[in-house]
Amino acid sequence: MVEGAPATAEKSLVLADLKENLTHGTVLNDKNAVAMPVAAMNALLGVVQRSSANTMMGLQDELKEASQEILDWNSREGNRSNIALASGCELFLRYSTRTFLELTDFKECRAAILERGQRFAGISLAARDKIARVGHGFIRDGQIILTHGWSRVVAALLLKAAETKHFSLYILEGRPDAAGAKAAEFYSKAGIPTTVILDSAMGYVMESVDSVLIGAEGVVENGGIVNKIGTYALSICARAHDKPVYVAAESYKFARLYPLNQKDLPPTKSVALKFIDTTQDTNAVVSVLPEIKVDQPPGDYTPAKFITLLFTDLGVLTPSAVSDELIRLYQ
Amino acid sequence: GRERLEQKAFHLCSLKKIWGRPSFDIMEGSNTDKISGGDAQKKAKKEKPANFVIPPKKPKLSKAERRALQEQQRAAKAQRQGQPTDKSSGKTQGKQQNTTSPVSNKNQEQNKTSAAPTQRSEVLAVNADGTKDPKQISVLAHLPPFRDPKDKPDELLGVQLKSSNIREQLHPEILQTGRAYATGIICHSNPRCRAMLKAMDAAIQDCVPDDSINDIKDFRHTWVNKVLKPSFQFFTEDCRPHSVGMGNAFTFLKSAIGALDRDMELPKAKALLSESIDAYLQERIDYADLAIAKHACEKIVDDDVILTFGHSEAVRAVLVEAAKAKQFRVIVCDARPLLTGKDMLLDLRQASLNCTYIYLNALSFVMKDVTKVFLGAEALMSDGSVLGLLGTACVALASQSVPVLVCSETYKISNRIQLESITNNEIGNPSHVLEGPLGDNLRVMSLTYDLTPASFVSGIITEMGILPPTSVAVLSMEMDPQQ
Repeated sequence: MVEGAPATAEKSLVLADLKENLTHGTVLNDKNAVAMPVAAMNALLGVVQRSSANTMMGLQDELKEASQEILDWNSREGNRSNIALASGCELFLRYSTRTFLELTDFKECRAAILERGQRFAGISLAARDKIARVGHGFIRDGQIILTHGWSRVVAALLLKAAETKHFSLYILEGRPDAAGAKAAEFYSKAGIPTTVILDSAMGYVMESVDSVLIGAEGVVENGGIVNKIGTYALSICARAHDKPVYVAAESYKFARLYPLNQKDLPPTKSVALKFIDTTQDTNAVVSVLPEIKVDQPPGDYTPAKFITLLFTDLGVLTPSAVSDELIRLYQ
Repeated sequence: GRERLEQKAFHLCSLKKIWGRPSFDIMEGSNTDKISGGDAQKKAKKEKPANFVIPPKKPKLSKAERRALQEQQRAAKAQRQGQPTDKSSGKTQGKQQNTTSPVSNKNQEQNKTSAAPTQRSEVLAVNADGTKDPKQISVLAHLPPFRDPKDKPDELLGVQLKSSNIREQLHPEILQTGRAYATGIICHSNPRCRAMLKAMDAAIQDCVPDDSINDIKDFRHTWVNKVLKPSFQFFTEDCRPHSVGMGNAFTFLKSAIGALDRDMELPKAKALLSESIDAYLQERIDYADLAIAKHACEKIVDDDVILTFGHSEAVRAVLVEAAKAKQFRVIVCDARPLLTGKDMLLDLRQASLNCTYIYLNALSFVMKDVTKVFLGAEALMSDGSVLGLLGTACVALASQSVPVLVCSETYKISNRIQLESITNNEIGNPSHVLEGPLGDNLRVMSLTYDLTPASFVSGIITEMGILPPTSVAVLSMEMDPQQ
């Protein structure tokens, strides 16, 4: 193919679009910030608008290239969650190119794709509010909720619940990126009584909490989830104490993966670990000999049997309903 | 009036005693009075017509006498139905066993304490000559009994030209295939389905329009009703009960014929039908196995130890395909009486795979090394349970610490749900389990299939991808929307 220069020009346009969409919502930690997959979908819409292709196949190729470019950029940036991004892009592709089966004229098709794509992106943006609406009823007055990691969906849900109910939160500190500690500040400012605990204290507190509420980086085909490391242990602990585990996730996070065990996940970059003894006043860093292997997978896989319900923009689903939805979405 | 009430109550009481429910005393009439409404009954009595004849009161029998009378009536009925005609012997025998054994069974057991305490034999099936069959097992009484092909050799071979009985006009290929089914030469879901479709194709190709039938001019109707349905009935009733895959394929065949144009010329219609049959076999079985292999290969990694049970075309396709790119070893588990694992072992060795061969009793010994389990299926139920050859459920149960993947083509999806292995099964050859003459007190239970509950299965690999067992129903709706 001859288009060396136009291709790279197009690629940089896509990335520019993506970055612009991402920074739309100010600070990344803010609950109103745009999620990465939604920003990617908007960028792909830009591709459709600018496209000079005359056939469906041509347009699909352009979209695939653009998605791949976005995914590569994401892994270059060192961001963790590739699953939701990949699944969001693929779903967008499927959703918009299904139009081709209905309309035969390409120009009409393209207009319809644009319209559908915008609708899909809009749905995804509104997903958080819908999830908050369907899910906040599962939190009742006087309950203690345990959560893990920072998730904007969970934040939206908890804030909505806090409008009408009094409850308190336990948050795991979330090593190594202290996500929990950062989230605690946010919730505390919003007026919810929050306690931050050590990751290893999840067993200790489990008897006092009423339910566990977590987000997901990706929802896999059998209804399990991929999330920040520690989620698997948390859900096993909750199951052992008969506490419900609720997952809040948008439907574009439904991925066509079927992991059989932890090793079956797509490979991710290991994150560096630092060991600090905080019981000592000096807070000295405990150094580790180079021969000692320090393995830090950033995410783990929680099987469906440990999850009670999923709050999604398609409604409240049981884990087995995820596959049914996926079959319908990818048909 | 009172007599009818008495009779009803007696019937109910005896039924309740048989099924072990606590019996409450209806004879006093209190409950039924309340149910029907005391006033209404009194009104009914008053409005009796003038010529209403009240039959003489029957003598009140004691419990033992009533039981004896019932047993007498049952024996008489059994005697009457125990002399069937030659052709329908199998059918009535089957029906006879179904209707009389469960009830007479339990009754007899209660009778024996009062009647003949020395005789422990249960009243069971009745043979053609009226003698009772002591070899049948009560819990399997609802299943058609095993038909040994050696018993009635001419039934499977007889063809009579110009016979009025449609069953005697079967195509020789149908007869041949049927015989192969009955003697076990063709077994397992995929080969049986292929053989059935090929035989029916041959039968249709040779079908000549019968001008003597003056009413129906629709060749499709003739094909389905005069050729296909009798053949299928022959397979199922005289040779061997059909598998789920065969049933689905037969439904497809009927709809394929229905889709033909009524006014099409016969040679063209036959060619078209033949093409459809070949396409079905190719797409739903051969290509499906290739697609299953492609999906499953992603789940096999180097240094895996894969356990499999018996012979399955889909699993074989998976392992042979994966062997091209990955290094792993296979443990083939096998079980009597069919020992289908031997064929699997040969096939895998031809693909140069590193194999171990064990019997089912060595399973717990090797389980610590196993990393994944791949099982074949005879049918998939709508709730995700898997019907497999006897022993599959055992392997799935023992492997709960590792992923258990079931490989099955979608044409085997049934729209039934089965709760356990006994409601719908096939009684196999008893001599496979235990040879030689058995004493009066020894019976042999030989089953063919067992059911693996959906919760034991980690995932089902079909040509559409890997899905959780709970999604089988959705998949069957997507694949065959007209069913």
